[in-house]
This record gives sequence, C-alpha cells and structure tokens, in this order.
Amino acid sequence: MIPAIILATLRQRFTSPMRLVILVAAVWISLIPVLVSPGSGFAMIGDCYFLALALAAGMIGEDVSSGTLQLLLARPVTRRQYVFSKWVAVAGGTSLVVVAQLLLAALVIALRGASVSWGGAALLLANDVLLAFGISAVMSLLSALVPGLGDLGLLFLAFLSTQVLGGLGSLKSWGALERATQELQRVLKPELNVWPLLHGDPASPAAVASYLSTVTLCLALAVMVMNRKELSYVSAGG
Amino acid sequence: MSPPAAETGRVSPGEPPRRAGSTRRDPYVLLAIALLLLVLRIGFVIREARQRARAGDGASEVVDRVAWRPLNVGLAESRATGRPLLLDFTADWCPPCRLMQSEIFADPGTAAELNRRFVPVRVLDRAREDGRNAPWVDSLQARFRVGAFPTLVITRPDGEAPVRIEGYLGRDFTLGRIEDARLHLRVQDMVPPAGARQ
Repeated sequence: MIPAIILATLRQRFTSPMRLVILVAAVWISLIPVLVSPGSGFAMIGDCYFLALALAAGMIGEDVSSGTLQLLLARPVTRRQYVFSKWVAVAGGTSLVVVAQLLLAALVIALRGASVSWGGAALLLANDVLLAFGISAVMSLLSALVPGLGDLGLLFLAFLSTQVLGGLGSLKSWGALERATQELQRVLKPELNVWPLLHGDPASPAAVASYLSTVTLCLALAVMVMNRKELSYVSAGG
Repeated sequence: MSPPAAETGRVSPGEPPRRAGSTRRDPYVLLAIALLLLVLRIGFVIREARQRARAGDGASEVVDRVAWRPLNVGLAESRATGRPLLLDFTADWCPPCRLMQSEIFADPGTAAELNRRFVPVRVLDRAREDGRNAPWVDSLQARFRVGAFPTLVITRPDGEAPVRIEGYLGRDFTLGRIEDARLHLRVQDMVPPAGARQ
C-alpha cells in the first residue's frame, strides 16, 4: 500500500462537492430518528452502506476516465499496490464518516437527556467498519471493470438481477435458486455482524468465511482485471 | 538505451525504494486464499442447507402452543399473579431452538403446563437478520448474560434470582431443569429477607 495514494484518494473523495453534499445529507438524515427518539440510542441509525457507496463510486474508474491512472502508473507503482491503496482509502474514509456520525448521534442523545451506550456505539462502529471494507472491495472490482461511475450501474444491475432471480426462485419454490441469490446478495453487500461472533453463535465460522471470501476474491479479481487493462494516453481523451 | 528504473530497481535520491520486475504481477497468494475461502463458504452453505432441511422436516408443521406475551404484558402479569417469568431467548436461524419448539412448545400438554405455571415471554434475537436488535432485547440479553441460543431464563418479575438453562439438551433434561428452577424460586420466596430475620 502506498500512503501517498491513500491520502490523495481521501483528498479527492472529500473535496468533491457532490460527494460532500451526499455524505452530509446522509449523516443528517440518519440523525433524525435519533433526534425524535433519543431513548432508542444508536439502534435507529442505519448501516453505512450508502455512505460507503458515495465514497467508493468510481474509485478506480474515475482515475481511468480522467487519465490520472495512466500518469500514476508511469511511476514505480504496481497495480496491486494501487488497488489495495484505493481499497484502504475508501474503507478508511467511510470509517471516519461513521465515527463522526456516531459522535454526532451521541451528542444528540446526551443533549436530549438520554443515556449514551458506548458499548452499542462500539458494536455499530465495528459492524460498519467491516461493512465499509467489504463494500470497498466489491466496488474496487466493479470499478476496475468499467470507467467513470459505471460501477454504480453494474452494482444496480447486479442487485436487480438477484431480486428477479430470488423472486423467481420464491415463486417456483426453487430452493437452490433462492439460496444462490441470497449468497449473491451477500457478495454485493458483504457484512459481518460482530455481536453473534462475540456470543459464540455456532454459525459464525460460516459468516466469517463468507465475508472473507468475498473481500479476498473481489480484491484478487480487481488486481487481475487491472493487470490486464491496457491504458493509453490517446484513449484518455487528452 | 538503459532500461526503465522500475525494471532495474534503481532508486533516485529521495524516492521510495523501487521493486524490480513487472508492475502487473498477479496476486496468486491472495487468489489461492480467496479460492480456499470460497470452497469453505460453499461447504458451509451446503451444510447449512442440509441442517435446514433436517430441521425443516420436523418443524414445517410445528405449531407453537405456548402463549408468549409481549414483555410489558408479561411483566405486569407476573407481578400481579406472582407466577415466575419464563424468558425464551431464541433466534429464527437457530436449529436447536426449532428443535426445542417442536419437542416442547408444540406439545399441547407441556405447553398448557408452562402456560399455567409461568408467564412466558419470548425474546427473539434479530441481530443477524436486521444487523441489530431492539434495545430491550439487547438489554435483557446483557442482564441475563445470554451467550448462546436457545437460553431459557426463569426469574421473578423483578429479575432477581434468575435461573438460566443454556442450550437444548433434550426434552426431559430441559423440562427437569425448568421444574428445578421453579422450585428454586419457590424456596427463595419462603426465605425471609435478611433484614426480616432479626
């Protein structure tokens, strides 16, 4: 991993006006239920899926479209280092936003006179950080496949397909198809809940294997796709 | 013409060390780990499907005959009647919970007995499905140190002197432990508080 790429990616993501508007709006919207019902604590805050998507969209594709990647790879940077740095930057950036979101929620809860459960906040943070690293891995693969923000389109299409296939499986009572689409949905939203892990849930090894297999496979495939990508200054539109 | 620095590994002053060789090496180790995990994942999915089918064979026609109350209703009823609370900490994904349901809670005679002697309250864990539980579920799980499913807790309405029965080790064993817990609470009720003895 290369710290310079991580920092540059964070700077690029957090200085994009559109992303900033989406992030701020998402954080404030997530705080409304806390404001209305502070007694429920952090339970009303949703996960960081959309926050992660807002930061991850076009994480590699935009570098390809803008011609940044062509210039970057003129330096002694391997494509693997580039992909891993992007992955860590996006997941780390999302985690930072989640920390800010939870701190704001804690402030709202405290100001409304309810007690703040720091244990609950830690649990949410752990879940969200794992989700952020999972989504970043998936988006790194999708973003390596298509330029610009095409990764969002691919993700939407994939979700739509799993919904249609899942519905078909349910309609026709094809258990195997239903189960397969559930697994595909887990690939598109790789999450790992910490609570069952801490409490000896017997299904935890399966959940851990499922999460890690998605993350490692997406990263490995993203690097392989990048390795086979031919970048030309001419096609960059320069 | 000299080869590029990336290939020779030469470093200019002030630049990070460069690695010689291609910048496009495939991550074979990572790929191998990913494939291993994928095989493991498929194995888990197949095992889970088999377990589900096995549990489903017995549970598909199961009708739970215990009259589970919402927590606040159960607490009020327990306070009013003096009958102990029977808290069933369970989760939809838990195969032993389904087995307990089919062997104990679906049995009309046993369910009637439980309804008569206890105030039953079910505490359903949704952490896996929904990502988090309702605060009251988390609070009860923490209070009674629930670390696995199923866990039955028999307690007074004030939550004092709880008896925990963790896991499902068969109908007779579980019913025996439930009865022991009920007797334990009755004995506790007969002992006057420390201040009253003097």
